[in-house]
Amino acid sequence: MTGGMAPSIEIESIGGSLAGDVQARSGTSPMSCFQCAKCSSGCPVAARADIKPHELVRMVQMDQREAVLSSRFIWECTSCQTCATRCPQNVSVAGMNDALRAMSRAAAAPAPSTVPAFTEVFLDAVRNRGRVSELALMIRYKLRTGRFFEDADKAPVMLKKGKLPLFGTQVGGKSERKALFARAAKGGAK
Amino acid sequence: MSYTFFPGCSLEGSAKDFHSSTMAVAAKLGLGLPELKDWICCGSTAAHASDPLLADALPAKSLSAAGGATVAVACAACYSRLKTANHHIASDAALRAKVAEVVGRDYDGRTPVLHMLEILCRDVGLDRIAAAVSRPLSGLKVACYYGCLLARPPEITNFDDAENPTLMDKLMEAAGAEPVDWPYKTECCGASASITDSSIVLDLGNKILAMAQTAGADCIVTACPLCQLNLDLRQKDMEARFGRTYNLPVFYFTQLLGLAMGCPADKLSLASLVVEPQALLQAKGIGAEA
Repeated sequence: MTGGMAPSIEIESIGGSLAGDVQARSGTSPMSCFQCAKCSSGCPVAARADIKPHELVRMVQMDQREAVLSSRFIWECTSCQTCATRCPQNVSVAGMNDALRAMSRAAAAPAPSTVPAFTEVFLDAVRNRGRVSELALMIRYKLRTGRFFEDADKAPVMLKKGKLPLFGTQVGGKSERKALFARAAKGGAK
Repeated sequence: MSYTFFPGCSLEGSAKDFHSSTMAVAAKLGLGLPELKDWICCGSTAAHASDPLLADALPAKSLSAAGGATVAVACAACYSRLKTANHHIASDAALRAKVAEVVGRDYDGRTPVLHMLEILCRDVGLDRIAAAVSRPLSGLKVACYYGCLLARPPEITNFDDAENPTLMDKLMEAAGAEPVDWPYKTECCGASASITDSSIVLDLGNKILAMAQTAGADCIVTACPLCQLNLDLRQKDMEARFGRTYNLPVFYFTQLLGLAMGCPADKLSLASLVVEPQALLQAKGIGAEA
């Protein structure tokens, strides 16, 4: 070693606004990724994805906001947590995808997926009834998306097998829950 | 230790058989599992993919009402959400304060949450399980399928080895069955993509079934309502799309354990399984108490 130490670089402090936004929302640091691609090796949907997990992280580092927010992959992620479990740099692509989904919806980017519709009807059910009745959820999802014939053969089988009760249970406290949802949307009380 | 049971929404619907078989096994073991009063949905993927604060607040509301009991969970997805919220709230004071504002009461993130596999293997113990087995599942080769959310991420669930969990294998051994050694224990089945893009589930489920078959399994054993439903309800579609024949029944671990313990057939809801297990069970000389 000669001379002084090179000045250290705080990797979290470099990168563009997209990396910063993702980090603020998800708590995971995209700038820490050194592209080993271990995430893509273990990802169950990488083979079909338009952008593979390690490529997504690189694009976030490179501030490719539009390409990232309009990708199919952020919606195809199954949140299996394999990437987060195996990453040597503690980057969670699954966590990034949660943040990117919310950012995509906030930016009103056209989602190449019915996941946002499913998310909405699901959370509506939790707000209104406290619990989700799968039959009511499926009916509302189909009304919302117009996908009436997809899986039309599944409901009769489930009904026959007793796996689709006609009436779900619910819990009281609807107005309290509505207030809880409203406070969460605002980031806390006040 | 006293427990309070958090069923979750699936156990009131598509996984009613998981619910009833869990209760049947608990009754055989003298394990009290009173239901947590007024529990609400854990929020599932819908909450964590749209609003991280809501995703922590919904579990906090239920967990803060547990009154000192350990919360027992059967659904792997509920388990994951409850443990994740606990981890976040207990390790971040600022977040804890925010969650308190949203929920309307403070919660410290320290209500213990355990999956039924952990309770049966560790709290009840394999010796007591083995002692309660009256009709061992001799000769039944089972592929223990854990799915994603029990073992991952390990720093949050602290369940078992993240890459090679063995709790279910040990339980099945205690029940007299023969767990096969196979590499897809923790592969993903596609989960709720079943609703939004079923082609994902057909691809992933087919790989899991093919590997279980290659490993010589007679059936699959699951601990998650979505894993069970995807591999069972869609098995015929997978066979048709990929030109394979599986005919692999997909049980909940509580159903097989209940059979081994001589629980009554109606309580185990074997009739709810789409891939019918009767021929396999008969061939192995395994039958439920009428």
